[in-house]
Amino acid sequence: MKEKKISERESLEIITEMISRTKDRYISDGNIMLMWGYLVVAVTLAVWILIANTHNGVWNWLWFLIPIVGCTVSPFMARKNQAKSGVKSYSDKITSAIWTIASLSMVVLTLFCLVFRFVYEIDSWRAMIAYPFLIVPFAEIVQGIIVKEKSLIVGGVIGLLMGMFTLCCIAGNVALVANWFMPLFIAAFVVMMIIPGYIINSKAKRK
Amino acid sequence: MKELNPLLHSQLRLAVMSILMNVEEADFVYLKQKTDSTAGNLSVQLDKLSSAGYITVEKGFVGKKTRTVCRVTEQGKQAFEEYVDTLKQYIQL
Repeated sequence: MKEKKISERESLEIITEMISRTKDRYISDGNIMLMWGYLVVAVTLAVWILIANTHNGVWNWLWFLIPIVGCTVSPFMARKNQAKSGVKSYSDKITSAIWTIASLSMVVLTLFCLVFRFVYEIDSWRAMIAYPFLIVPFAEIVQGIIVKEKSLIVGGVIGLLMGMFTLCCIAGNVALVANWFMPLFIAAFVVMMIIPGYIINSKAKRK
Repeated sequence: MKELNPLLHSQLRLAVMSILMNVEEADFVYLKQKTDSTAGNLSVQLDKLSSAGYITVEKGFVGKKTRTVCRVTEQGKQAFEEYVDTLKQYIQL
């Protein structure tokens, strides 16, 4: 394309052509999802094994590794991805905002739980189990709808169902026993993050 | 009939503006690829659009590589919309 005068018809064709060339939006990299997925699975396994062997609840503090590591690494990965794709669309902006809201709400919930624990001596940590199980799948479904990625929608729906089941267990005072709950938690993040991450990477390679 | 904005009524500048109207931001490499233009020509046209206040051009770094990011301004959006309205009159849409 050169810098030259054009007719009115050609103008219209250029506008149409450029809109068509930029509308093809898809997630070009599933590595952020893989990072979160493997991080959650690794920490869950570590907590489960350590508590099962030592019977010491202090290992629960390891859960904090998830937001600390994840929130430190993912912005760098996101910046690198955007530089690689060369463009930020309006759908990128919306999905980024959705995940930011989800992350910030997790931070606020953690603060509430800490206040409950250390100020009022009330154990409210079960909220930290149910909430990510609801907010993460919800954010993932919305992102899947925006970028038209089925694996995100399916993974999100399965995660959301597991989250609703967990919420009912908590509301009904059913004990979340490690022997079945930890595998459920791990399975949910495999379905929500790891499998879609690999599917997205595989699609990106083909494109 | 109103005259078409001469700054936009040019193949490459119009292509760049059409892309930037459709995205939040785009870098130099992406624009070059989508418009099939040469780096030198694209650079000149980006300067013209930037001087007119239609786009902002931000130069930064990603690692050790330079990255030039372009965004359309409110003034640019308005000019593009007016251009399209005038264009509609010309081709009687």
